[in-house]
Amino acid sequence: MEYAIEISGLTKKFGDFVAVDNLDLRVRVGEIFGFLGPNGAGKTTTIRMMCGLMRQSKGTIRIYGYSIPEERSELIKITGYMAQRFSLYEDLSVYENMEFFGKLYGLNGENLRSRIRELLEFLDLKDVKDRLAGRLSGGMKQRLALGVALIHRPKLLVLDEPTAGVDPPIRRAFWEYLRGLNKEGTTILVTTHYMDEAENCDRIGLMNRGRLVAEGTPKELKRRVFGGDLVEVVLEGHIQGSVIKDFLNVKDLKYVGGETVLRIILKDASKELPSMLRRLDSMGLKVQSAEPINVTLEEVFIELVTKFEAAV
Amino acid sequence: MRITAVVVKELIQLKRDPRSLVMIAMIPLIVMLLFGVGYGGGMGKISIAVVNLDKGSLSWMVIDSIMKTPSVYVKAYANSIEEGRELVKDGTVSATVVIPEGFTQELMRGTSTQVLVIVDESITTISSTIRNAMLAVTYKFQQELVRSVQGSSVELIYSSVYGPKVTNLEAFTPLVIGIVLQLVPTSLISIAICKEKERGTFEQLIMSPISRYDIIFGKLLAFFIATIADMLITLMVAVWIFDVSVRGPLIDAMVVSTLFLLGSLGLGMLISVLSRNQLQANQAAIFIFIPALLFSGALMPIDMLSPSARILANLTPMYYFVSAFREIMIKGFGLWQITWQVFALSVYMALMMVTAPLVLRLRVD
Repeated sequence: MEYAIEISGLTKKFGDFVAVDNLDLRVRVGEIFGFLGPNGAGKTTTIRMMCGLMRQSKGTIRIYGYSIPEERSELIKITGYMAQRFSLYEDLSVYENMEFFGKLYGLNGENLRSRIRELLEFLDLKDVKDRLAGRLSGGMKQRLALGVALIHRPKLLVLDEPTAGVDPPIRRAFWEYLRGLNKEGTTILVTTHYMDEAENCDRIGLMNRGRLVAEGTPKELKRRVFGGDLVEVVLEGHIQGSVIKDFLNVKDLKYVGGETVLRIILKDASKELPSMLRRLDSMGLKVQSAEPINVTLEEVFIELVTKFEAAV
Repeated sequence: MRITAVVVKELIQLKRDPRSLVMIAMIPLIVMLLFGVGYGGGMGKISIAVVNLDKGSLSWMVIDSIMKTPSVYVKAYANSIEEGRELVKDGTVSATVVIPEGFTQELMRGTSTQVLVIVDESITTISSTIRNAMLAVTYKFQQELVRSVQGSSVELIYSSVYGPKVTNLEAFTPLVIGIVLQLVPTSLISIAICKEKERGTFEQLIMSPISRYDIIFGKLLAFFIATIADMLITLMVAVWIFDVSVRGPLIDAMVVSTLFLLGSLGLGMLISVLSRNQLQANQAAIFIFIPALLFSGALMPIDMLSPSARILANLTPMYYFVSAFREIMIKGFGLWQITWQVFALSVYMALMMVTAPLVLRLRVD
């Protein structure tokens, strides 16, 4: 099967408020797909509908061919789920939590024990296995939640803001686990509002106000948004925009001290940059510096949302 | 088995929750002990005042008779009706008995006379006790008066069934056991589901292959195991510490208690499924308890209630429990003699057990 997730026309209304608006989405088997967007964009609602935790107002959802919510019981067998909020029993120990959920998945005896041992090892929770979940640090809680989600070796892992409120080094370590799982073939759908994290995804979908604003690999998105690579050029003296605008795609221009700082867009910076510099030189303009800007997804997002809002 | 996993998990959680443990073990114990101390032992006496305006000897026979009545005692003597009325008004005594001037003279002359009783009506049990006591006093006085002039009279003789005598403690035992068996299990389990929803654990739980029957009956079974202790505690305290005798088979009393206990758990579970949060659930559990108490038939026999109240009583499970338990305990009946109550309790239990899983939705909203 090619697609792990196929969603079309997905809509959720709460009264007059449209939380998810006619969403189409496809995620391939074996992919890490990131759902990106600010709080309230509709990511959690979408995920909950996908898992049959909430009923959609409209639209179809297919997960590994199972249509949701009708075939939810099949979905559950192949899906590991980690909710946004820590949602394991704080008054049970790490081991007891895993044991309980393992039994719910029909594991028992030596099968269950060895699976728990394996996960404790993998997630580095062996030393705290008898500690109550409520007494764990944020990073440990998050690993435990991942462990519970993995107990039945799911094909699809759905993680709703798994790294919210966790320190950056721990976030990075958590992504190591995810990449490891993905290498073994697990499809991963993850939501986040940390833009830097999204760089880890194979593909991302940007969500805002219930709509999918853009979708693609991180690189594709960056190029698509600005129509090319972004380059910053600093020229000596105050140059009027009109002088250069006819042959350069100027995104913005400002004066800093006695210099002009330009941000221009080139189709492919590595090829076009030298010829552009020669041209500026031939016009008698003195170039202080010129360098391609590493666009972050955050900028992409802001750009997209601004365009999107203007269009609405 | 998934349901065993739920039972084990719930029991571990109960064990680690001091609040629940206190509720399971301490509340029945405290309620039973308070009840035993309050209602056991000797009966208290109601205080009255006497105004004796008579100068003769017969008035002293009346006063002597009052003093021999077990439920009242003479706390004060007053000199006038006004003074006696004042004593009742300010709460010094609950009633004042006024023996009029010329009481002895008139009786000697063979004419009728009156004794005035000024009663505080604000507490009906007290005023009715006084009425009964004064009736007995008058009756006894007249008996003696008639005997002294060798006249004939009618005497009342009481003979009891289910006697020889049911103490106050025994009379209220079924109600108190009913209170414990409704209040504790219902409020304990009423947070079972909404606590999971409030803490977010419900979301994770229903992402596993668990059915609503696993959830509901797993929890019910765990709480049943825990609260069966309540049934044993209340019965043991009553039998061993307060010497209440269960005249019927003890096992039958346990069967009836278990039925009622299961019904209470089912009721609490239903509340939990319907409540948005723990606070709401707790309030609902207590609120439902109030009509159960009022229409239990233990505070006021339901034959004495209005027809509409009688219908309500017939819909109150506590009424059936109290009545069934009383029949077993005091009358010495067995289950086959109280089939109607047992049937009603079984229907109640079954209804509660079935409704909760039907109402539960495996979704988050």
